[in-house]
Amino acid sequence: MKGSSTQESLTFARGVREGFPICVGYFPTAMAFGLVCRDVGLKIWEAVLFSVTNFAGSGQFLAINLLASGALLLEIFIGVLLINLRYLFMGAALSQKLEEGIHGPKRLIIAHGTTDEVFSVAVLHNQKLSWPYMVGLQGVSYAGWVGGTALGFLIGMVLSPELQMAVGVTLYAMFISLFAQELRQKGIMVLMVAGFSAIMNSILILGLSMGSGWAFVISMLSASVFGAIIIKEPEALP
Amino acid sequence: MRETIPTIVYILATALATFGVRVLPYYTKALDKLPPFVGRAMRLLPIAALGPLVFPGVILDFSPQWYAGLAGIGASFLIAYIKGGMIFPILISIVATYIALVL
Repeated sequence: MKGSSTQESLTFARGVREGFPICVGYFPTAMAFGLVCRDVGLKIWEAVLFSVTNFAGSGQFLAINLLASGALLLEIFIGVLLINLRYLFMGAALSQKLEEGIHGPKRLIIAHGTTDEVFSVAVLHNQKLSWPYMVGLQGVSYAGWVGGTALGFLIGMVLSPELQMAVGVTLYAMFISLFAQELRQKGIMVLMVAGFSAIMNSILILGLSMGSGWAFVISMLSASVFGAIIIKEPEALP
Repeated sequence: MRETIPTIVYILATALATFGVRVLPYYTKALDKLPPFVGRAMRLLPIAALGPLVFPGVILDFSPQWYAGLAGIGASFLIAYIKGGMIFPILISIVATYIALVL
């Protein structure tokens, strides 16, 4: 059956075109990640390897934060696993929209490229998603993420010694910037959920002397359950 | 601990944690009908992560000049909320923290 005449087919070029805004959005965020990696003491190839193998903004920011605070490997693993659990939901939706005949390595590559932004662009199409389209969409997003990481790291190398004294705040500033953007887009519920987890984490660490990794996992989980209880309408969700 | 485990192990472990949850739904049908409550909680996880990523670390890291970190994130919050973006808010926060540290 032919698609309706208004539906443009999902080609590689179309994927690149739709991925370009994602690439532009990823680039400065990835630069911030590269900058923070350098600040924390990683080498440039480690920062780039992070982005090449993970390709997950919030997961990487979490990992580098826990790494810097000296958390255990298991704590970091569980923390990253939890923060990325949403990909189960996104992957389940996207996999049902893939064209027939996308199997094996192709599926693995599409799975690796499933980010929040790629998901929200791809899932809006009424047609089945073709392999060339997904390669274009995800490839250009991936290039922005990996390229931005490398450039951010290099920019960090030319900061003056005076500024490097204060550069310890970059990680927090990055999360607060993310928070401000989410707050502006999605409103008060962002403040409620993030505020809940911030208070919970402070109590666990300062009051109960819990390790940073486990305190993080418990705070994040309880705040998201709290959020899911108080927020009923799906449009308020990320 | 950190001394004996190379950074690359951490990077590959987090990659595994990420790739695992990404690949799973492409190979099983079991996740196609998640309860709505679970779906909502999963989608809130990245926002729920932001709180503990900042507090109480931003205060403890600059102790005894605990206000320096708060000055930094306060500045970046204002810029990010009004103007959006990340690079400029981060640069402003470095300046604000620096000023708070040297004053």
